Amino acid sequence: MKLSRVSAYFSLHARSYLRSRSALFFQIAFPIILILLFGAIFSGSSYSPSTLVIQNESPSTVSWGVVDAINSSGLFKVQLIPQNENLSNYITTNSVQAALLIPSNFTSNLYSGGLGFVVLKGHTNPTVATADYETLNGILTQINFRASNTTQKLVLSSQVAIGNTGKTIDYYVPGLIGFTVLSTMFNMVYTVPNYRRERLFRQLSFSGLTKSEWITANMLFSFLMLVLSDVILVAIGIYAFGASLTLNAETILTSALIIFGGLFFFTSVGILAGLVSDNEETVSVVGNLVMFPMMFLSGVFFPLTFAPAYLVTISKFLPLTYFINSLISVLDYGNISTVAIQIVWLLLGSAILFAIAVKLFSWKQK
Amino acid sequence: MPETVIDVSNLVKSYSDLRAVDGISFSIKRGEVFSLLGPNGAGKTTTVEILEGVRNRTSGDVRVLNEDPEKSRTLTFKLGILPQDFSFIYNSTPKEALTFYKHTLRASGDIQEILEMVELGDKATTPFQKLSGGQKQKLGLALSLVNDPEVLFLDEPTSGLDPRARRNIWNVIKTLKERGKSILLTTHYLEEAELLADRVAIMNKGKIIDSGTPMEIVERHHEDDNLIIRGDGQVERDLAAGGFQFQRDGSYIKLRLKNIRDATSIINYLSEHKTKFEDFTLKRESLEDVFIRMVGEIEEDETE
Repeated sequence: MKLSRVSAYFSLHARSYLRSRSALFFQIAFPIILILLFGAIFSGSSYSPSTLVIQNESPSTVSWGVVDAINSSGLFKVQLIPQNENLSNYITTNSVQAALLIPSNFTSNLYSGGLGFVVLKGHTNPTVATADYETLNGILTQINFRASNTTQKLVLSSQVAIGNTGKTIDYYVPGLIGFTVLSTMFNMVYTVPNYRRERLFRQLSFSGLTKSEWITANMLFSFLMLVLSDVILVAIGIYAFGASLTLNAETILTSALIIFGGLFFFTSVGILAGLVSDNEETVSVVGNLVMFPMMFLSGVFFPLTFAPAYLVTISKFLPLTYFINSLISVLDYGNISTVAIQIVWLLLGSAILFAIAVKLFSWKQK
Repeated sequence: MPETVIDVSNLVKSYSDLRAVDGISFSIKRGEVFSLLGPNGAGKTTTVEILEGVRNRTSGDVRVLNEDPEKSRTLTFKLGILPQDFSFIYNSTPKEALTFYKHTLRASGDIQEILEMVELGDKATTPFQKLSGGQKQKLGLALSLVNDPEVLFLDEPTSGLDPRARRNIWNVIKTLKERGKSILLTTHYLEEAELLADRVAIMNKGKIIDSGTPMEIVERHHEDDNLIIRGDGQVERDLAAGGFQFQRDGSYIKLRLKNIRDATSIINYLSEHKTKFEDFTLKRESLEDVFIRMVGEIEEDETE
């Protein structure tokens, strides 16, 4: 190996790379965005209290005291629901992550010298369930100490459902399906600039094919590939890891509709991102720039329950959040009616974005 | 009079302050092979791409088969296009590519016949990335023939090919010409234009600097022709005695001719004087000689 040749190529490459202002910008901007993202999630600089639904079936000074103590801790945003509400149904229809039931015998048990049981219910993933349990238990222990200094009178039991069977995999299967939909975006982020550089769009235009036809053909192929990979993904989840999903004709068709809407959306995002990638250096950086924030902030790999409030707010603006939440509602809870409007909005948004992408995407040589 | 299939009038294409095509006009008749010649950056490909409809013009009027390529949606179906630097989807085979074109262009041509015509029959199922440069170019030509087009745009069809592959493509173009196709050919090879084109236009810096048949252009711009005689001192002495001006160059004697017919007089003179010489050659300037001088003169004028 000759260092002079290494140096010569280094110089050539460096000059070529630095000449691309967009690549240089993204090269610097991307690490900054990542550190901001992860720093914000894990630094714990601020805390966003999660919502705790409370149903008090035993109204008394003591039980309301417990509710006040939880509320004043600042660790939960307490939301009270009426006594006559069916808590289990409420949890399912509203996709409630954490709900505390103060049972009807709570006050009488305490007055008769017994233990006051409260029950943590909900439907969430293991990380959130454990954290909610530990936080609530800590609050109850403090109340105990203030009341008697010695004996544990208030006892928390957990009936939190994680998926249908309480397995982590139930939460991750819809998330991973969402991730496969997101990854279709990369096809376009790479294909559009590559085809432009290789002048394949020009060549395809000579065949009489239109750009809409090209996009549609790509999308249909991606949809078939997605269905195939997601069927395999679900099958492995069920048969290898015992995932328990609500699979029937309605949920499968609704999931397919969500996946198709997602494909529309992310293909369009991919085309738009591909249009701003004018060279090889920029392509991967633009792709990562669009993909990673969505991947981390939409709850594909970990929940954002404990992330700062502003990140939770940001996640609400990311379309993938809604695709994944819709899939979780449909596949984990079998809950179609509550996400129906959300799905309609997603499809509408996807159609608008698709139209914009098709309009801006040109096969003509610049 | 044959119908005009391509009509270009005052065509301009500008990129900010650069005029890549600067007000050119020309027309092509049905069944004619018309060649655009010019150095790199002359504006040939830009012109062709405007005619193909893949690039918008800045101003001027362009009609291809009586349609404006910028606006027409049906013109593609009547054209055959082999672009410069032809490329295709890496893993698709020639047969797949032609089948795709046949479907999209609603054509009825026989794929195998077209592949055989361009000598690609035995590579029908070879992925594009495994084809040689010449074979790739042949595939591009084959694709341009799928719809049996009325007008063909061949942008440097033999660029980078070996002589044998080049001659094969020339044969295909000759066949197309015999079948009455109208062809716009751009090329770097002047020999190719001289052989195939009925008329040529020489472009430089966005302008057409001359046009006509290759013969007409050579006639207009050639300098003196030369008669080269191989012979000994006796030939020199006899020529000097006859009052002819000449130069000795090794074993050759070179005579500059004001008129090509003067060659006959010189050879007749030597025969009458029974002067022995080994052989003689009449060296006429080719289109390439003329082209290089024309383009070179413009460059020099601008430098001055």
